Parts: sequence; structure tokens; C-alpha cells
Amino acid sequence: MPATEPVRLGRKRALPSCPNPLFLKWLTELRDEAKEKGLKIQYTYQKAINSLNKYPLPLKNAKEAKILQNFGDGICKILDEKLQRYYRENGADASIHALPKGAPPPGRSDNNIILAPSKKKNAAVDQGKDGGGDGGGDGGRKKKREYVPQKRSGGYAVLLTLYKETQVPGSKGYMFKMELQAEAQHLCDKSFTVPDLGSKYTAWSSVSTLIQKNLVIKTHNPARYSLTEGGLTLAERLASAEQTNTDGDREAVRSELEATEEDDPVVDLTGSDEDEEEKEENRIHPAERQPTVTEVSCDVDDVRSSGKPQDSQTTMTTSRKPNAECLLPGTYEIMLCVDFIETTGGSHHRKQELVKELQRNGVNFDIRKLNVGDFLWVAREKVAPVAGQLRAPVGRELVLDYIVERKRMDDLCGSIIDGRFREQKFRLKRCGLHKPIYLVEECGSAASHLSLPETTLQQAIVNTQVVDGFFVKRVQDVRESAAYLTIMTRFLTKLYQNRTLICRSRELEGDGGSDEEERGLPSCSLMSFAEFNHGAVKNKCQTVREVFARQLMQISGLSGDKAAAILEHYSTPHSLLTAYEQCASEAEKEKLLSSIRYGKLKRNLGPALSRTVYQLYCTQGALT
Amino acid sequence: MSLLRRAKTWEISESEDSDAETKPGLGSDNSIQTASTEKQEQGSHNSAANRGGSAALAPPAASGSGTPSPARKRRSKEEIEEDRRKVKERKEAREKQRAARAQEQEERRQEQQRRREAAKTLKSLRPENCLKCITVCIHPVLLQQDGSDVLLDTLVSLDWKFSIKSEQLVGSIAWTQDLPQGEGGMVSVVEEEEQVLLVLSLADFMDVVISVNRIIHSQAVETGVGSFWSPILEFLNRDGKKVVTLLVTDSEPDYRSNAHSVPLQYKLGMDHLDIEEVLVYLQLYKNISVVFLDSWQEVTDHVCAVTKALSKRPFKLLTEGAELPFCVDGSWASGVRVEKDGSGLIQVWSRQIQQLNRVSPAVASAVTTSYPSPQLLLQAYNSLGSEEDRKGLLAGLSAKSGGTERRVGPEISARVYRCLTAHNPQLVLD
Repeated sequence: MPATEPVRLGRKRALPSCPNPLFLKWLTELRDEAKEKGLKIQYTYQKAINSLNKYPLPLKNAKEAKILQNFGDGICKILDEKLQRYYRENGADASIHALPKGAPPPGRSDNNIILAPSKKKNAAVDQGKDGGGDGGGDGGRKKKREYVPQKRSGGYAVLLTLYKETQVPGSKGYMFKMELQAEAQHLCDKSFTVPDLGSKYTAWSSVSTLIQKNLVIKTHNPARYSLTEGGLTLAERLASAEQTNTDGDREAVRSELEATEEDDPVVDLTGSDEDEEEKEENRIHPAERQPTVTEVSCDVDDVRSSGKPQDSQTTMTTSRKPNAECLLPGTYEIMLCVDFIETTGGSHHRKQELVKELQRNGVNFDIRKLNVGDFLWVAREKVAPVAGQLRAPVGRELVLDYIVERKRMDDLCGSIIDGRFREQKFRLKRCGLHKPIYLVEECGSAASHLSLPETTLQQAIVNTQVVDGFFVKRVQDVRESAAYLTIMTRFLTKLYQNRTLICRSRELEGDGGSDEEERGLPSCSLMSFAEFNHGAVKNKCQTVREVFARQLMQISGLSGDKAAAILEHYSTPHSLLTAYEQCASEAEKEKLLSSIRYGKLKRNLGPALSRTVYQLYCTQGALT
Repeated sequence: MSLLRRAKTWEISESEDSDAETKPGLGSDNSIQTASTEKQEQGSHNSAANRGGSAALAPPAASGSGTPSPARKRRSKEEIEEDRRKVKERKEAREKQRAARAQEQEERRQEQQRRREAAKTLKSLRPENCLKCITVCIHPVLLQQDGSDVLLDTLVSLDWKFSIKSEQLVGSIAWTQDLPQGEGGMVSVVEEEEQVLLVLSLADFMDVVISVNRIIHSQAVETGVGSFWSPILEFLNRDGKKVVTLLVTDSEPDYRSNAHSVPLQYKLGMDHLDIEEVLVYLQLYKNISVVFLDSWQEVTDHVCAVTKALSKRPFKLLTEGAELPFCVDGSWASGVRVEKDGSGLIQVWSRQIQQLNRVSPAVASAVTTSYPSPQLLLQAYNSLGSEEDRKGLLAGLSAKSGGTERRVGPEISARVYRCLTAHNPQLVLD
């Protein structure tokens, strides 16, 4: 994948394991520049970058680099020129193994100061081992080191923010994702919500590392984040270090934090192996900010490495306060979002038809992955492109209350048969948007030779309106669907013409009563698209309790309400197993669950089912 | 209808009986309790008085020392008192016990009563029983229309309640439900359902389209213009919770051969887009949906479908508010049949592993082949020293699916481990 490789390596250049950050940075800039111009020389730079990445020792000057594979005279000359300029700007004795320490631009943290000394690098590599080894691999070889997130990294910000939350009297002791991101953003250089160009990782990615390191625990659904005991201790130290130190002596912070670590001069190159790529991503993003030191690079055009997009994102996100977000009339536009499934789906060229129709109608629409529903509308903030940047800043997006599920009669028939019909409605009802619309394409007479009788299908449609409270829209064919979506888009645009929209977080505020939702008055307190779509992920984070419920339901006759009743008493496999262990006799174990009452009628679960569950969990040998 | 009513009065009388049954029970129990406490108080009072009395009596007894065996007499007196006290205490204890037993019994009876009542309400919520409480209300204007007989005929043949009501929206069909209220469902309250169907002919609908179109394009204030639009508007203004569906039918059936091949809405002789705009306006601003139907037979089918849906709704709403955070319907939830001897459990175990996100049947069966019961897996975990080893136990197991062979990943291995051993039910596994 030549398209993504440079990007991936672009992140690699930021690995703390490279002792020549300046050269790496310059080469990366050169490569990106060449790539933007479509020059083949980008591949030469790429090869040089690869070589440099593998070289564990600091280089004194550009000539020395010639010993490396893929470093020719040309590259060395360019590097030498850059180096000379660098010395002119930073003084002849400036360290080239660290980015300039003297004049860090205000508001930016130059992590490289922290990263550059070889001791720290090794530590970072070690952390890489810890993260990737899954325990067994490196246990014997190295003394394990404590994981400490880089200052102003995602992990650092999350730990500190959670710590601050614990210090607030009467705090709830955990934080929701949106809340945590909003609060932590100002402590982190990288955006929690928008990935860097070409990367799919945000500062948020480091949370999984924190969970893996047993510093943070994630519970409930929607997810709640809180510190473990270990996390609390570490965060406490981070917080006290944060307080006692100013910009000047971060080094001291770092060394204080690393006081327990011994010096290990061996550079472990395997620490940055490809297979650990992902884990590294989670950890090292602060280093990705390396190129933001603009004093060194004056290439304003070089968007990719100048780091400016990140900066604008960061400032943008930090300037936003949660709950105080609003979109004023005229600053946003209404846009239709189409689930990508509606546009692909090989055999159905019908689906292409819909998009073509929408295009023909001149609808403002965007194709994206929707985790629930087929169509919806967002109010998207209009953002003007900023001079000197290729990519326009990301506009905020709030989801309108309308969501459309499209069904052809044959789809409807199929989904009733395989149970998706109910499941989809269930998810639509819980997605947080208050006005679900069922768009039924009736396909004329086609309905007559489906595997369910016409009356059953009609009943299902009417039920959707009467029982589920959806709006049911009936159309004849795809073209009518497109016409409907077109006109809906126009009307919604009109409806929201003069309205101020307020961003509401579902996690923090719940679903809220739709108090303003009188006829014709649209709701103006809306979820962000990101929160909406994240919340609608189909198989998102399962809790132990949920899995246990589903597991119990795998026994025939153990219905949802029975599982829920068992969960009332034993909410994890562990608690049930412990209860079995505490029984005095096998007979007692057999009957453990039989008198649990379930359902609205509070019936007994009964001895037969109790016995089956007992057999499942207590059979010492193999099951049959 | 009369039959139904009779049935209901019988039900009411039954519930009255049961009420009467419980009330005396409750009352008698209370009286027993109060009586016993009274006695208790009295008892303690008595004994105190006796003690006081004996103390008061003592000095004269002591002064008269010449009397024979006053000590014996006094002792016996004390003994008697002691005995009396003991008897009293025993009696009290017995009474207390009896009261406790009675209370227990009463509690049990109440619990049973509660359950019986819960069962009864649940039963009354069943669709077939709900259906008996629903009345289809038809505006008389509709009965004058040709072909509308089929509606009444159908309702009669289904034995559903209906009534002709001129006070509702002209040309509409609505529903009411008798809700049993109060103790034992003695009083029933008639409640209007929010669903309202308005049967319009093509010409009537055109009238609506023209009125609405005027609103859309002139951006004028909503005014009730048009003989059909203004009543709808008034109706909705009166009660904003109503959900109106317009059933547009061809009131003068076209007997020409191609009548059914042309969808009704195209017969309007109007720009289709104009109509679509009106439909979207009705949806967004008035929550009105429009259904085009060919005949009174289809109107009747629709009425029946709505009636059935209304009858199903209470039960569905009740069961829907489940405690589980996922939809309990679907093929995954059907479960594996387990015989009495436990055969089938191995499939259950395998499907249990599959309930974790992103675990394929192949991976699940790799786990359950190596560890064919939860206990065997737990034993394997227990034999391992470190947490890390336990997390990684299943990683690397070979999982064959079709022709390809893959290995169980460390992430899935760790999730299976945590799921089986975690203490915190709310721990997120992914």
C-alpha cells in the first residue's frame, strides 16, 4: 500500500527510538514535499528514512550519515545544508539530537526534549516491550518498568483529568467519554477527536493502553472511566509534578518520574517491530507532534509535517466548552447523510440509482458509515478554509432528530423472518434520535410472491407506526425514495433556517424530555454526530453482565426475563460459580436457582432449568 | 356487548368478594395484635402494681411478727406471684408467636394476592383481552359512502366492538379503550387512542393539497382554508397528541380494466412533486401520514390492522421495558435444547463463548474442544501462576474454519478469561 506506507512511517519517524530526530524530521519533510508534488524522489527519501530509523546511534553530522544504506551524496548534502542553517539559528553548540530547547513556541510542548536523551529513549522502547509482549515474552529478559505516559500525551491528560475528578468533592467517581475528552483536551497536544492526517488514531487511542496497563478501568454502558488504585497513585505523582514544575524543567519531571528505572544502554530495536505498531500508536502520539517546532521548519506549504492542522484542531477543541457549544443561525447547513451500505451492496444496482437520483436532484449529501439507520440529517458548521492549509478545519456536526430506515418489501419480509426487523427497531428506538422514520418501498405487486403473506407485512408496517411510534412513509420505488429524501432535506433546511442549535451530550444529560417538540417546532438541542454514531455501534463494548445474560440465554427455555432474574442474584459467572462452591451438597447446587422468581408473574425458575445450569457450570469433566 | 358487560360485572363481584375476604382477615389480625400488646402492657402494669403492693404490705407484716409462719406465707405469696408472672410470660410468648405466625400467614396471603392480581392485569393486557376493550368509532358520514358496508360487515364478523359517533372529526375512524380503573377494576374509564384515520376521497385530498400548498408557497400563517384542511387543523390544535393518518381512496371506483395499474396518487392530475411536498409538510409539521388505498376493502384491512396493533401495544410495551440492554429477540437468543442427561450442553458452552463480540464459531469451538466444560477451563486457569499466563491461556489455540486455519488471538483469550473470572459485573470487556 504505497499510499499509506509513508504515512505510517511518518508516524514512525516520531518514535522515540530514533536518536537522530532532526535528520528524521527533515527527511520526512522532504519526502512529504516530494510526495505532494508527485515526485518519484519521495521513495528515495522513504528508503533513507527507513535506514535512519534502524540506526541506533546518534550521528554527529550529515557526512557521518553516509555510512547508512540509502544515504547518497545528494541526501547528505541537503541534510548538511539544513544542519548549517539550524546551527545558525540555534547557535553552533545546539544539540542536534534534541530539538531546540531554547525557544519552545508558546502553547506547544516540545516533547522531544524529553524524548531525546538516550536513556529516555530506551525507557520508551522498554515500554513498548511491556505493552506488546502480552506478558510471557519478555518477562525473563528485562526488569519490567513502570509505565509513565509522556507529558501532554493522551494518556497523561486522561490520567490527570480523572485524578482531578476524584479530587472534586462529591464527584461521581467516574467520567463519561465525551466529558473526559472535553476536560482532558487542554492537557493534551493532540486532538482527542480528530485523528492526524492519514492516521486513524487520536489521543483517545491511548486509553486502551491505560486500561491494558491496569491504570484505568472502563465499566458500564455507556462507558464510564475511572482510575484503578495503580492509576490513582501514578496520577497523583503526575499531578504533583505538574504543579511543581514550570515549562523550563520538564526534564526534572521526567527524571523524577523515572527515578525508579535503571539505565539500560542496550537499544532494543525489536521494540519497534511492525507487529507492535498498533500498541506503539497508542502510546507515542505526543512524539508525533515533533514537527510542530516551526522555528526549525519554515515550510509553511508543507502541511503534512508542519503540524498546523493539528494545532488548529487542538485550539479549536480546547476553545470549546462542553454544553456551551452552540451553532448560530446561518453558521451551519443541513446535510443529508447516507449510510455507505445504501450505496454499495454489489448486486443491487438499485442502490446506485438512489445516489444518482440524489445527485441529480442537487441534494447536499454525504456518504458515511452510519451505525444505525440508513439516512439522517446533520447540521454542519460552515468552515472557511484557512490560508496556508490544504485541509479545511473540521466543522462541528449536530444530528437532527430524524432518522430513516429504508426497507423494500422483500427486505422487510426477510428481516421479519430472521429477526432483524425487531432488532433494528429496538436499536432505532434507543439511538437517541426522537423521530424515527420507516421508509417502505412497496414495489407494487412484487409483494404478492414473498414468503410471508401480504397481510402479515401490512400488519408489521402498521405495528411500526402504532406500537413503535415510528413515522411510516410509503413510497412506490427508489426514485420516490430519492424524491422524498430530497424534499425532506429542503424542508429541514427551511425548518432550521433561523434556529440556534445547542449541543447536548446524551452521556452527560441523558435522553432528556423532548419538551420543545411540539408540532412543527423542531428540537434544537442536538447530539453531536460523533457521539450519536459512537453510541450506536452495534456490538460496542459489552459488559461482563451483558455477556453473562447472553450466555445464559443459550440454554433453550432460558428466556430474557429468566436471564435477567438470574442476573439479579448472580451478575457475573464468577458470582454464580462462587455460589455453587458454597453449597453444601450437590443436591443443593442443583436447586440453587430453582426458587428464583422471574418475570412479571414472579414465577419460579423451576428445578429443571436450575439443574441444567448446574450441569453446565459444575460438571467437572467434559460436557456432552 | 351485553354478554361482555355481564362478564365484567361478574368479574367485579368476584373481586369484591376477594376484597371482602382479605379485609376481615386484615382487621382481625390487627385486633389480635393490638389485643396482645394491650395485654402485655397490662401485664407489666400489674406486676409493677403488685410489687408496689407487696412493698407496701411488707412493713405491717413485719411489724406483726408474732403471727405463725409469716415467712412461709409471704414466700408462697411471692411464689404465687412468680408463678403468675411466669404463666403470664408464657402466655405472652405464645400469643406473640401466634401473632407472628398469623402475620406470616397474612404476608403470604398478601403476596399470593399480589401475584394473583399481577397475573390478572397481565392477562388483561394480552392482545386477545385488550381487543375486547377496544371500540372502533366510526363517523356516520362514512356509512353513507358506497362500499363502506364492508367495514361494518367485517367488524361484525370479527365480533369487535364498534360504535357510530357523530361527535368526532368528520369522516374519521378512531378508537377508544375501556381501561379498568381503581380497585379490582370496578370502574372503567374510556380513553381515546391517539390514532385517528381520516378517510378522504381523491377530490377531498386535492382540497387538502391545495390548501397546504398555499401555506407552503405563500409562507402565510397557517389558516384553516379549505373545507377539509381547516377541520383537521382545528382537530390537531385541540389535541396535539393525535396521530392522524389520511386514507385516500378512490370513492368512485374506476371500473375500467386498467384501474389498478395506475397508482392512485398519479391520478390526481397534479405535479407529483407538489404532492410530495405536501406530504413532507404534513409529516414534518403535523405528523400526518398519508396512505393511498384502492378500495373500501383496503380501508377495512387498514382499520383492522390498526385495531390489532392497538390491542398488542400494552403487552409489548410491558415486555419491552426489559432489564437487559439488548434486544432479546433474534436467532442468537433461541438457545440450544438440552436433554435431561445434559446432552447438548457442549453446544451451549460453545455458543456461550460466541456471545463475546467478534468471536466466530470456529474460535469458540477451538476453545471448547480444548476445554470442553467451564470447570475444565477454570481448572486450567487455576493451575497457572500469573495473571498474564491466565489471560493468554487460550491464545494460539488453532481454530479451523473451512479450509483456513487461524489462531485464537491474545485479545479474545484475555476477554474469555476476564468474562469468566471478573468480579465487577459492569466491567467492559472490549
